[in-house]
Amino acid sequence: MKNKIPVLTRRDFIRGTVGVTLGASVFGLQWPRGEARAAAPSLVTVVRDKSAMDAAKNIDITVLEKMLVETLTRVTGRKNTKDAWLSLVKPDDVIGLVPTPHLNPTHDEVVDVVKNSLMDAGIPEDRIRDAQSPRNAKKCDALIAIPGLKAHWLTGIGTVLKNYIMYSGSPSSYHQSNSAKLGEIWNLPFVKGKTKLVLVDSLFPLCDKGPQPDPRYQWNYNGFIAGTDPVAVETVCLKIITEKRKVIRGESWPLSPPPICVEAADKVYGLGTSRMDQIQIKHSGWDHDLLL
Amino acid sequence: MVDNINKKGFDISSIMKLSLKITFVVLTITMTMVICGGASGKMNAGKLDLPKTVGVWNRPDSPRLINSKNIFKYMNGAGELYLGYRFRHLEVFDYTSADQGNILVELYFMESSDDAFGLLSLDWGGEPVSLDSAPAAISNQSFTASTRALYGGGLLRLWSDYIYARIMAERETPASKEAVLALGQAIAAGAQYSPEPALVKILPLAIDAVWKLRVDRLSFFRSYLVLNSIYYLSHENILDLDLSAEAASAPYQYIPGSGDPKRSQFLLLQYENTERGRQALNHFHDAYLPELKKEITADSPSLFKLEDGWMAYKLIGRHIAIAFESPDPESARAILQKNESNLLKKGGDHEK
Repeated sequence: MKNKIPVLTRRDFIRGTVGVTLGASVFGLQWPRGEARAAAPSLVTVVRDKSAMDAAKNIDITVLEKMLVETLTRVTGRKNTKDAWLSLVKPDDVIGLVPTPHLNPTHDEVVDVVKNSLMDAGIPEDRIRDAQSPRNAKKCDALIAIPGLKAHWLTGIGTVLKNYIMYSGSPSSYHQSNSAKLGEIWNLPFVKGKTKLVLVDSLFPLCDKGPQPDPRYQWNYNGFIAGTDPVAVETVCLKIITEKRKVIRGESWPLSPPPICVEAADKVYGLGTSRMDQIQIKHSGWDHDLLL
Repeated sequence: MVDNINKKGFDISSIMKLSLKITFVVLTITMTMVICGGASGKMNAGKLDLPKTVGVWNRPDSPRLINSKNIFKYMNGAGELYLGYRFRHLEVFDYTSADQGNILVELYFMESSDDAFGLLSLDWGGEPVSLDSAPAAISNQSFTASTRALYGGGLLRLWSDYIYARIMAERETPASKEAVLALGQAIAAGAQYSPEPALVKILPLAIDAVWKLRVDRLSFFRSYLVLNSIYYLSHENILDLDLSAEAASAPYQYIPGSGDPKRSQFLLLQYENTERGRQALNHFHDAYLPELKKEITADSPSLFKLEDGWMAYKLIGRHIAIAFESPDPESARAILQKNESNLLKKGGDHEK
């Protein structure tokens, strides 16, 4: 038993010792590097509109545009979209848009609305790129993460932190216990500090079951969840998915495996906060089944 | 002709010998086909004749073929699920329509009916659909006998012998549902009616009239990744699961009415032999109960008081039975004993 590396198990989650075991088994002495981080509240906006997408999944672009305006002005505190964008990016930045291509992919309409909004703010079209590949991301000065809201059968949640997994060059090595390390991708030299906005497409989230989409676990949430703190945004997304699962089954239905990447992104990689008491949620619009 | 042959150095006896050899080879091939086909239907793999047109939907002449080498290209990390079972190949048909969306048909050809059952067993939710004239119950555990296809939200999932299929309409409408069900019927038509995995049938439906098996949560699998998606134990493979192993898991729920819905998660594992089972249990104990004394005996279950209740395990020949989260040691013991009794009664502890 001497020098044996502890294995992360169900018991760690029950005892609340995930951090200790993860620290020893996955991160060595790095845990909890980010815990002393300043505890300023992170703002996460939840903007919803009942008419953004109908039951037949038809999307109303005009409504999406309004939701984006609302999101940008609330996240930045600026009065209009142009000022909001220019507080996040520079006019001469090469801006990479990073939607999710697989499993409940980001709706094309959402990507288009973001792109058009940037162009309306004065960013030339040729400076706005698709940045799903690491090659393209390296050429960008700023990144806008636009993942779709979803659970994931190998990492628990597969929304914000997992959105950059292709940048690693080895996505399969970030599953299971190594999913705790998803945060390290955000600190790669060509990624670190570039993410100016996280905008989660939560029009039609997937709360289970995976690994392939099952329409029974998708529903019209019709929202955008956004912020500049990726971990805080992920934490709010996690709360919504967890609550929805409880509603569907009428009993506790924890994500399995547990999404250890969220806490690790906070405490090891210092990417943001995973504590709900340090997150300020600003909601506007449709409040039916908000799940927060 | 004989002359010509003779000129080339052949004679009648050579021809007869050759004929006998050919006959032998043909017979051997035929017998092999019959045996293989009868056992698992493998020889029919890839020959499923789906209709070219269903309603307003049409398919291309041939499917996309996916194997274990390119499955990740097709579905990314989702491929781990299918490789966690004994996967042979996948055929994908895209039925397209002019204006009613597409219907995606995925046919997963597995090594055995058990593997196809396992994929369906990961989620018993949805509306049960009858696709054929199967008998109402073919075993003492009738819960899955009548449930081989489940529909919900435009998606039909079905288990038909060694095939697991997903048929999903992009847009759910009465017409697309009709087409999806018709495709399901075409897949199930003429298929051998396979029973559930033997391991699954060992789990008693009730224990001492106080614990009821949650058949709606009963799953069959071989991979720890799949186990973790059902009931998280560890991010590591602490039970040494692999394609040679079998596992069934479901919660037992306490029956007597009370506001406290007590549950105990039960896990039954089967390994190639007793030694593999013993090694797996040792590994499990070391990883899951590192601070607790190990007592693996054939006489009685080992009981442990943990943070979430009582846990008991027992090595039964090449099987391991584990009860998690029991409210008291008596319950944990009862669940294990009844399962062991069923296992021995059904002769399930024989090594291969």
